[in-house]
Amino acid sequence: MAMAIIFKTVNYTYQPDTPFEQQALDNISVEIPTGSYTALIGHTGSGKSTFLQHLNGLLRPTSGEILIGEQIITTETKNKELGELRKHVGIVFQFPEAQLFEETVIKDIAFAPKNFGKTEAEAEIIARKMARQVGLGEELLTKSPFELSGGQMRRVAIAGILAMEPEVLVLDEPTAGLDPKGRLEMMRMFKRLKEEQNLTVVLVTHQMDDVANYADNVIVLEEGKLIANGTPSEIFSQPDWLVEHHLALPKAGEFALAFEKKTGYKFSTLPLTEVSLARQIASLLHEGGGDVHHG
Amino acid sequence: MDMIEVKNLIFKYPQQEVYNFNNFNLKVKKGEWLAIIGHNGSGKSTLVRLIDGLLAPESGEITVSGIKLTPETVWDVRSKIGMVFQNPDNQFVGANVEDDVAFGLENAAIPREEMLIRVKQALERVGMWKFADHEPVRLSGGQKQRVALAGVIALKPEIVILDEATSMLDPEGRLAVLEIIHELNRVEHLTVISITHDIDEASKAQRVVVLDDGKVVQDDIPAEIFSHRAGLIKIGLEPPFSEKLKEELIKQGIKVPDEYLTKEGMVDWLWQLFSKQ
Amino acid sequence: MGKVLLGRYVPGDSIVHQMDPRAKLILSFFFIIIIFLANNWQSYVLLLTLTIGSIMAAKVNFAFFIKGVRPLIWLILFTVLLQIFFSSGGTIFWRWGPFNLSYFGLINGAYVFCRFVLIIFMSTLLTLTTAPLEIADALEKLMMPLKKIKVPVYEISLMLSIALRFVPTLMDETAKIMNAQRSRGVNFGEGNIMQQIKSVVPLLVPLFVSSFNRAEDLATAMEARGYRGGEGRTKYRVHYWHTSDTTGCAVFVIVMLILLFVRHW
Repeated sequence: MAMAIIFKTVNYTYQPDTPFEQQALDNISVEIPTGSYTALIGHTGSGKSTFLQHLNGLLRPTSGEILIGEQIITTETKNKELGELRKHVGIVFQFPEAQLFEETVIKDIAFAPKNFGKTEAEAEIIARKMARQVGLGEELLTKSPFELSGGQMRRVAIAGILAMEPEVLVLDEPTAGLDPKGRLEMMRMFKRLKEEQNLTVVLVTHQMDDVANYADNVIVLEEGKLIANGTPSEIFSQPDWLVEHHLALPKAGEFALAFEKKTGYKFSTLPLTEVSLARQIASLLHEGGGDVHHG
Repeated sequence: MDMIEVKNLIFKYPQQEVYNFNNFNLKVKKGEWLAIIGHNGSGKSTLVRLIDGLLAPESGEITVSGIKLTPETVWDVRSKIGMVFQNPDNQFVGANVEDDVAFGLENAAIPREEMLIRVKQALERVGMWKFADHEPVRLSGGQKQRVALAGVIALKPEIVILDEATSMLDPEGRLAVLEIIHELNRVEHLTVISITHDIDEASKAQRVVVLDDGKVVQDDIPAEIFSHRAGLIKIGLEPPFSEKLKEELIKQGIKVPDEYLTKEGMVDWLWQLFSKQ
Repeated sequence: MGKVLLGRYVPGDSIVHQMDPRAKLILSFFFIIIIFLANNWQSYVLLLTLTIGSIMAAKVNFAFFIKGVRPLIWLILFTVLLQIFFSSGGTIFWRWGPFNLSYFGLINGAYVFCRFVLIIFMSTLLTLTTAPLEIADALEKLMMPLKKIKVPVYEISLMLSIALRFVPTLMDETAKIMNAQRSRGVNFGEGNIMQQIKSVVPLLVPLFVSSFNRAEDLATAMEARGYRGGEGRTKYRVHYWHTSDTTGCAVFVIVMLILLFVRHW
């Protein structure tokens, strides 16, 4: 099932017609292509979390419509129809370990598939599989989730979402609060899962290095408005624009700019990862200026 | 002079078998900024809680600013130390910003006239005075941590301990907090201990101690610690960008210097490499 | 959220906002007591004038007050209907078994309705113009005499203010956990009673766990900041009794005197 997600002039207002009225999404039209790894960036209060809640029908647009797969969501869509949608779009919220509640790890992972109509036995089979996928050892499955370490709890929560076997996986700052080793392992795991299960991934992040390293599509929100949408190299191609909107470059890009400023060299395309930066520097050194032009 | 001295510390949590610290020793100089790093579960938070008397050791001696930590002196010791914890929400006691800053002053029985002055000064110091009457729900994580810092500043401690205080903040919030700490350390010569995984935070320190399983496995200046690029991830620190770049340059067959280079240093070194050609 | 207006503070700088919370608290109680003295239309007009006057002095949008009544409307109507059908006297218009529709019944119903609405308006005015913490503060001050009989007044008021401080945080947390569990296929508020009870478990367990963690963190942070019990602390927040507070009290007392005069004895 193709699961492109298309926003058409979507508006969302909190507490309309009250003194506390607040427009959180302002006329958003954007597409999240099937199979893409889309990064969603923007500051606190930019509307990211409201946007996320539209992806599986936790919120319905105040006006406009959202196409998810074959389903159209408007302000009139009934709750019953939204339930179906939630099977296909799994959201891993920030600090997802806060959602754990069952007596054992395996039961908690099996919770969602059971809710979506799988039998006890089927759900357990899926749960075991997903536990393996996120790297939870067999010995942990019968423990209480509250006995585990922070990093393990995070994995249980993620497995609990994967167990829905969604086509779209939404990750809201999934590595927040983990140590660097945990962070790296987690990001690599998502990359592998995406490839193995043909997932569409939406990643909310503040880490521009993650955007450069993993994403192929970037959505930038500011005060509820869409201010940019494109590939990472398009988004990061205008340093002045980034400064204006208080957004950072990936570290490699920042370094490349400092290098250009110091040496007067110009890179043909601004490198965004260490790998491409090192390659461009090496090719310059070896070939005496291959794709770097002395200016 | 040593601001903090930990001698032969032995500690384990009541319900546990394994010792978190078994004969642990550490000295922190006055005016020093010490970064403590280590992977989750290496004992970093436990150590600073022991220093502040929030946990009691089985045996060993902790001396803070010349006061030996005992059940009788624990409140004196705490008055020398200001702590900022990880979760911005869970340390905000007051109903609004100024009340929260005043909480510690009220506990210390500071007269009200002086409280008014100190609260205002501390909030101006962290750039939060114009939010004085805001409730915590209306603040971002970074703003809440700045309020927590103001609460510390108002009490005029000699030591500031940051227990992963920036780990839940976005990049802007993190920078704002670090800038304030930097000033407190350089201008007012407060002793700073920061527990962190953040390379920018660690690089501001004068000294880095790496903890693993309750033992000091490395104790050195940041540059020396950062130059062991292979081991950094394992000890719970994100390697600095320049070290990651070196790694990639090596893969491209380029010889790189062994010592740690800052970003600027790395640009200079590359510039020289190009000039030689 | 948003529906229950009782307990929602709207910042402002009117005379009423600036009054001492102790005065506002006392006057609110005082109003509730004197309203039971009212027993004819003149006395209700008098109290209505007082209420409207207070609301106007507070410069708060009147819509807030209407919304404050709405959640309680069924309770009010039920009580009013009881009054109407079960009191007798005067002309009887209609009778069926124990039910009466009498002149007195109608009048009593109208009075009860007025009493409810006025009490709700006044208490809404208190909570709209007084920050929850100020109310807690005022309670602490007013409870001070109880310290003589060993009531831990400081601790109670600190508990109260911390509880108030964490209400929005917990509401946020609840919304987050509900979203997470709805995303895992839980339907809150749907199905039969058993299903509804079952759907509460995935909400309550995480909420308890996180509240306990928060409480532990908060206790540690308070200890690190030198909190060692209520005795010997100084207070940052003080309240000054202004002329406006005295005036306010005087107005209420005068109203009571007029009330005593116009009421039906």
